[in-house]
Amino acid sequence: MKEYEGSKSSLVRLYFTAKMALNGLTSNLLRTFLTVLGILIGVASVVSLMGIGEGARRTVVEQFESLGKNVVIVKSNQPALNFEPEEYIELLDRVDGLEYATSIVNTETNIRWRRSRGEIEILGVNEQYPIIRDHELIDGNFFSSLHVKQRSPVAILGYNVAVSLLNGRSPVGQSMTIDGISYRIIGVLARKGNGKGEGIDNKVIIPYTSAMKIDGNRTVSEIWGKSDSPENAALSIVQLGRIYKRQLGIYDKDTDTGGEDGNEGGGEEPGIPIEEPIKEVGTAKPQPQSQNNPIFDNSDDLITVTSLNQLVKEADNANRVMTLLLGGIAAVSLLVGGLGIMNIMLVAVSERTSEIGVRRALGAKKYDLLIQFMLEALYVSIIGCIIGIAVGIYVINLFNRNGLDAVVSLQAVKISTVVALTSGLLFGVYPAYMASNLPPVEALNRK
Amino acid sequence: MDKVIKMDNIYKNYKLGQVNVEALKGINLEVEKGEFISIMGPSGSGKSTLLNLIGCLDKPTKGLYELDGNRVEKLNDYQLSEIRNNFLGFVFQSFNLLSSLNAIKNVEIPLIYRGIRKKVRKELCKEALEVVGLGDRMHHLPNQLSGGQQQRVAIARAIVGKPAVILADEPTGALDSKTGNDIMDIFQKLNKENNMTIVQVTHEEDIAKIGNRIIRLIDGYIQ
Ligand SMILES: Nc1ncnc2c1ncn2[C@@H]1O[C@H](COP(=O)(O)OP(=O)(O)O)[C@@H](O)[C@H]1O
Ligand SMILES: [Mg+2]
Repeated sequence: MKEYEGSKSSLVRLYFTAKMALNGLTSNLLRTFLTVLGILIGVASVVSLMGIGEGARRTVVEQFESLGKNVVIVKSNQPALNFEPEEYIELLDRVDGLEYATSIVNTETNIRWRRSRGEIEILGVNEQYPIIRDHELIDGNFFSSLHVKQRSPVAILGYNVAVSLLNGRSPVGQSMTIDGISYRIIGVLARKGNGKGEGIDNKVIIPYTSAMKIDGNRTVSEIWGKSDSPENAALSIVQLGRIYKRQLGIYDKDTDTGGEDGNEGGGEEPGIPIEEPIKEVGTAKPQPQSQNNPIFDNSDDLITVTSLNQLVKEADNANRVMTLLLGGIAAVSLLVGGLGIMNIMLVAVSERTSEIGVRRALGAKKYDLLIQFMLEALYVSIIGCIIGIAVGIYVINLFNRNGLDAVVSLQAVKISTVVALTSGLLFGVYPAYMASNLPPVEALNRK
Repeated sequence: MDKVIKMDNIYKNYKLGQVNVEALKGINLEVEKGEFISIMGPSGSGKSTLLNLIGCLDKPTKGLYELDGNRVEKLNDYQLSEIRNNFLGFVFQSFNLLSSLNAIKNVEIPLIYRGIRKKVRKELCKEALEVVGLGDRMHHLPNQLSGGQQQRVAIARAIVGKPAVILADEPTGALDSKTGNDIMDIFQKLNKENNMTIVQVTHEEDIAKIGNRIIRLIDGYIQ
C-alpha cells in the first residue's frame, strides 16, 4: 500500500482519544455517577472492613506485647511435675538463648491496709521481673536479689492498687499487712492499661520466696524467662523442650538412641553431659499422649514450653485471616461494581454506534476505539477508587470516634485499588472490543 | 488521465436470514481524477451500497476493486483506515456531526486520527471552514447550527485533510432546494478549483446534472 505522509504523532491521537473517553463520561452525568457509585461503595467497604480487622489485630498484638518481648514460658500442668524454686537458675545456665528468668508464684490472700481488709492477688517473682516483662516503676524501687534470698517482707504495688489505696499520694515507705505479716511498700509499677499485662495493675508483687510461704507450696508451677532476640527466644524453646523431654524420659525419633546425640545439641555447653537428666521427676511417669508432641505446646502436656512470640504469631495469623476474609467479602461487592461498569459500557457502545461508524469513516483505527472505550471504563474505576478510599478513611475515622478500633491499612488500599482497576479493565474490555469490531458500514447505518 | 477508482465485475450480496439479497450484480466502473460523478437510481437500487464499497466502509462479495492503485480486497483493517483517513472524504445525508463537539473540533477529527499537531491542525481547519463559508461559526455546537450550516461543517470535515476523492451519499437529501444548491456550489468549486474527484449519490435530476457524468443504477446493474 502507498504510504501517506503526514506528521504521524500517536500522542496526538492518544490525547484526543483520552479526551473523547472523558466526553463519553460527561455526556450522561447521572449515569456516570451511578456507575462510579458501584465502585466507590466496593472500595469504601474493603478499606473500612479491613480497617476494622486490622484494628482488632493490632489490639491483640499490643495486648501480647504488654506482657514483654521475647518472653519464654515454662509451665507445669501437674503439681507432681512442678519446678524447684531455684530451678530457673539452672535453666539460665543450661539454656544459651535465655538471658533472664524468674519463678512465678500466683496466689491470692487477704490484706489489711489501715482499717480496711480485703482479698488481693499476689504475684511472686524475683528481682529480674521488671526486665522480663518490660515493666517500669513510677515510684520507689523494685526489690533486690537480696530481698528475694532473705524472703524480705517487701511489696511493690500495681498501679490501680496504689491509686485506690492512697488516691495518688506516694505509698512508698508505708506498710501493709499481707497474710498476717507486715510488708513495707517500696515501689509502684507503671500503668499497663486495661486487659494488658495479665491484670498486673490490680496485683501486689512480692519476692517469690515470700509468696511461696503464703501459698504453702514447696515448688512452683511456672517459670518465665526472657531472651534478647526473637531468634534466641526460639532457640530457648527448642533447648527447654529438649531438657524437659529428656527429664520426662521422652525422646525424639532422631535422638532416642541416647548416647550419640551430642550432634543435635550444638547450642549446649560442652561441659554439661546432656544425656544426664537435670533432676529426677519424683513419682510421675510420662503419659503416652505426650510422646506424640515433640514440643510441649498443648495444655494436655505435662509441661508446656512456649513463647509469647509464638502466641502472638498464632493470634496474629488468626486475625489476619479474619481481616482478609472481611476484605474478600467486600471485594466481591467491588466485582459487582465492575459488572455495573460493563453493563453501562455496553449501553454506551450501543448508543454511540453511529458515532463509532463516523469515527471509522474519518479514519479511526480499531484500536483508537478500543482504547477510547477502555479508558472510559477505566476512568470510572479510577474515580470510584479515589473517592472510595476517601470515604473508607472517613468511615474509619467515624469508627474511631465511636470507640471502635480501626486503622487505615495500606494493604486494604492496595487490594482495593488493584481489584477496582482490574475489574474496570476486565469489564471494560468486552464492550470496547465490541465497539472496535463493529463493521464501519453497519455502525454507520444503525440508528 | 489517472484512474482513481476502478471496479471490475463487483458483486455485493447481503444475507438476511435465509434470504440472499443481491444489492449489486456485476458493476464495472472507472472514475478518473477530477471527475464529478452523480449516481442516480430508484430507492433500493444499490446506490448507497456502491458508495460504501467505493469508500472502503464495506467489502465486495466478488470482483476487483482498485482505489488509488491499491487492490482494496488485499488491504487489512488498519490499511483501510489509513486510506479512508488520507485519501477519502465523506459527506452524509444526515451530516453525522459529533454532537458534543463544536464545529472546528468536528472538522479536526480526520487530522487528529492522522496524528497532525495542533498548530497545523488549526490552520487547516480555519482554511476548510472558510472554503465552505463558515469562518464565523467555528465555535458553535451542531445543535446551534441550521441543517445547511451543519452540512457545510461536514463538508469542511471531509475536505480538511485534502483528500483526492469526496464521497457524498445524498448530501442535499435533508436540505431545502435553495440550501441544497448552495452545497452544490461548494462541490462545484472544490471540483473546479481544487481538482477534487467527487462521487455523489442523489435522486434529484437537477443536482445530478451539476456533475459531469451520471451513472444510473437499476436493481443492482448500471444502465
Ligand atoms: N445491511 C444490509 N443488509 C441487508 N440488506 C441490505 C443491507 N443494506 C442494503 N441492503 C439491501 O440492498 C439493496 C440496496 O440498498 P441500498 O444500497 O441502500 O439502496 P439505495 O441506497 O439505492 O436506496 C436494498 O434491497 C436493501 O434492502
Ligand atoms: Mg441510499
